Amino acid sequence: MAVRYPEFQAINTEILAISVDSVYSHKVWNEIELTKMVKGGIPYPMLTDVAGNIAKMYDVYDPNLGKSLRATFIIGPEGYIYGMENLTPPVGRNPSEILRQVQAFQNYAATKQLAPCEWHPGDKTLVRDAADVGKVWEKWRLM
Amino acid sequence: MIVGTTAPDFTAGAFIKGETKKISLSDYSNKWVVLFFYSEDFSFV
Repeated sequence: MAVRYPEFQAINTEILAISVDSVYSHKVWNEIELTKMVKGGIPYPMLTDVAGNIAKMYDVYDPNLGKSLRATFIIGPEGYIYGMENLTPPVGRNPSEILRQVQAFQNYAATKQLAPCEWHPGDKTLVRDAADVGKVWEKWRLM
Repeated sequence: MIVGTTAPDFTAGAFIKGETKKISLSDYSNKWVVLFFYSEDFSFV
């Protein structure tokens, strides 16, 4: 996520990382390892979630682990949660997909246009229109 | 099920660019936010 941070900043999107670890653990992990992976270390805030209370509020806390799962939330400026993804530990996130989803939701928030499968900025979007029910395939064929 | 509802506000200690400070979700009310939870520091993935 850190490597792609400038692309998120460019679309008015902040990134907040959070785990149950203390800020001292974040600091030392950053110094010992993350600065070797990302120039300058992590550029966005690394939050400490004491007792997993915030993870519990977001329903992503695993009581057996005593930690959160790998959950990502996309939150709009008005506080609306547009989407989330939650993965178990073995598989990492895909920042490209997170960026794409933020772009799609921002486009929807601004234009009310719907983003079909595999939509990327610049691709055709759909308008919600009752007249198209059962006839969306005609629009797809034209795309 | 929290998707499609308002994100709960919170305040937490944070490490950012060499310093520690308190951060709230409401600090970013004029921006989009990607809030990502991860299990632990020093992890492999």
